[in-house]
Amino acid sequence: MSKSFAIMAEYETPAEIMDAAKKVHAAGYEKWDVHSPFPIHGMDDAMGLDNAKVGYFTFFGGLIGFTTGMTMQYFMNKFDYAIVVGGKPLFSGFFAFPVSYELTILLGAFGSLIGMFVLNRLPRHHHPLLANERFADVTDDKFYVVIECDDDHYDEQTTRNLLEGTNAVHIEMVEGTE
Amino acid sequence: MSDAVTTPAQDSEESTNWRSIPQIAVVFGLVLCMYGLVQDKQQFAFSYLTAFMFFLSLGLGSLFMVLIHHLFDAGWSAPIRRYLEHFSCLLFPWLGVAFIPIGFMAPDYIYPWMQVADPHEDHALYVKKALFNKPTWYAASTLLFLFWGWLTHRLRYWSLQQDKSGTAEFEGKLMFPEHLIASFYKNFQGLPFEKDNQQVLCTRMMRIHAAYGVVLFAFTLTLGAILWMKSIQHQFFSTMYGVYYFAGSVWLTISTAWITARVLKAKGLLPQVHNLQFYHLGTMLLAFTVFYAYIHFSQYFLIWNAAVPEETFWYVLREQGTWAYVSWALIIGHFLIPFLTLLRIDVKLTNKVMVPVFIWVILMHYMDMYFNMMPEIHPDGPSPAVADLGALLLIGGTLIWVFMRSLFSHPICPLRDPRMGEAIEHH
Repeated sequence: MSKSFAIMAEYETPAEIMDAAKKVHAAGYEKWDVHSPFPIHGMDDAMGLDNAKVGYFTFFGGLIGFTTGMTMQYFMNKFDYAIVVGGKPLFSGFFAFPVSYELTILLGAFGSLIGMFVLNRLPRHHHPLLANERFADVTDDKFYVVIECDDDHYDEQTTRNLLEGTNAVHIEMVEGTE
Repeated sequence: MSDAVTTPAQDSEESTNWRSIPQIAVVFGLVLCMYGLVQDKQQFAFSYLTAFMFFLSLGLGSLFMVLIHHLFDAGWSAPIRRYLEHFSCLLFPWLGVAFIPIGFMAPDYIYPWMQVADPHEDHALYVKKALFNKPTWYAASTLLFLFWGWLTHRLRYWSLQQDKSGTAEFEGKLMFPEHLIASFYKNFQGLPFEKDNQQVLCTRMMRIHAAYGVVLFAFTLTLGAILWMKSIQHQFFSTMYGVYYFAGSVWLTISTAWITARVLKAKGLLPQVHNLQFYHLGTMLLAFTVFYAYIHFSQYFLIWNAAVPEETFWYVLREQGTWAYVSWALIIGHFLIPFLTLLRIDVKLTNKVMVPVFIWVILMHYMDMYFNMMPEIHPDGPSPAVADLGALLLIGGTLIWVFMRSLFSHPICPLRDPRMGEAIEHH
C-alpha cells in the first residue's frame, strides 16, 4: 500500500470551484492545483498565481537568436568568406538585420516551448491523478481541487475540513505511485 | 446606465478652468503664429504643415480605430468608441479649415515642384505630372476632406442615432447613396435589414460604412501622405510612405485614446472603461510600435540595399549634420524604448509606467513628423522655431476646443450599443 499522493475535492460548477480556490489560497497552500474541463477566467487571481515565467525564456531565447544572427553574419562576411557585394561594406547591421530578426523569432519561440516544458516539468508520462477513475470526469463536466500531501500546510484532518467547508460534492484521497 | 453617463459636472468651477485651457492655447498660438509669419514665412509654412500633419494623424488614426471596431464587431472598444468618433469628425470641417492656409502657402513656400514652370525640365516631375500638377493637387486635397467628412459624419450620425433608438427622438434617415447600399444588402445579398428594429439598423449602417470605408481609407490616407508630405521632395520614391504615415498615426491615436479614457475616468465621466480597455490599448500600442519599426526599417532597408540616387538622397539628407542624431533618436525613442517598456504584461496596467510612455509617444510622433518635413529647409539640422510651438497651439487648441464641445453635447459613451454589455463586464 503506497502513501497517499493528494486529497481531491470534486465540484459541479465553475463558481463553486472558484470560491473553493480562493479559500485554499487564503489558507496558504502552495502545492495544489485546480483542474477544469475548460479555462476559467479569473482563476489565476483566485489561486493567487503570479504571471507565468515563460516570458523570460522567450525574451532570452530571442536575445540569443538576435546575437547569434548578428555574430554569425559578422564572422562569415567579414572574416570567413569576405566578399564585396554591390559596393556594400563587408558587414552592416542593415543587411544582417532580416536574418537576425528571423532568428530572434525562431529562438524566441523555442524559448517559449522549452520554458513551458521546463516549468511544467514535462515530459512526464505518468501522474497519480491519471490512475484515479473519478478524475477522468475532468475532461467532461466536473471540476477538481487537488492538494498534495507534501504541502507544508497539509494535515489529514484540517485539510479535509477545509474542503468540506466548500461546496465539494465528493472528497477522496488519491493513491500515490511508487 | 444612461443616468451616470450624460451628466458631466458642467457647473463646477474646477471643470470650467480645465475647459478654458484650449481657448488660451488658441490665443497664444495665434500670437506666436503671427510673430512667426512676420519673422520668416517659409519657416512658418513648414511649422504649420508639420503641426497640421501631426493632428491629421489623430483624425485619421481615430477614423481607423472606429472602422476596425465595426469591422471586427469588437466588444471591448465600445465604450471608447464615441470619443474616437468625435476625434475622427475633426477631419471635416475643422482639419479641412486648418488646411486652407497650407493651400495658400503651398506654391510659394512649401512645394518646390509647384514653381517648376515646365515639367519637361524636371524628369522626376515629368513622370509624376499626372498627380503633381496644381489643379490635381488642389482638387484631390478637397476631395480627400469631403470623403473623410462623409465617412466620419455618417459613422457618428448612426452611432448617435443608436443612442436614441427605441425612443421618440429617433430619426435614422438614410442619406442619398445609403439607400442604394441598403437595398443592395437587402435584395441582392439577402441579408436581413430590419428597418423596424432601429438598434439593428444603426449597427448595420455603421458596418456598411466601415466595410467600404476601410478600403477607401487606405487609398485616401496614402494619397494625403503623398500629396502633402512626400511631395515636399517630389523626386523621392517610396511605396512604403503611406503605410509609414498610417503606422505612426495609429500609434499616436492609441496614446491619445488611452489618455482620454484615463482623464474621463478620473473625472467620473466614463465609468464604463476599466482594465479591459486599458490593457487592450496597451497591447495595441506595443503592436503598432513594432509595426511602425517594421515599416520604417523596410523603407530604409530597401533604399539602402538598392542604393539608387533617386531614393537615397532623401535619407542622405536626413543623415547630415545634427539630423543624424534625430535619426538615431527615432530608432531608439520611437522603437526601442517603448518596445522594451511595453513587453511585460503587467506594465500595461501600471499607470506610473504607462502615462510617461504615452506622453513620450506623442512627443516621438511629433519628432517623426518634424523629421519628415524640416530637412528641406534646414539641411544642417533641426532648428526649433517660435512658429513650431505657435502652430501646434493654434491647431491643437482649436481641435481640442471643438472636440470638448462635441464630447459634452452628446452621451460620452454609446448608450444602446449591443456590445456594451460585453465591454463593461468585469471578471
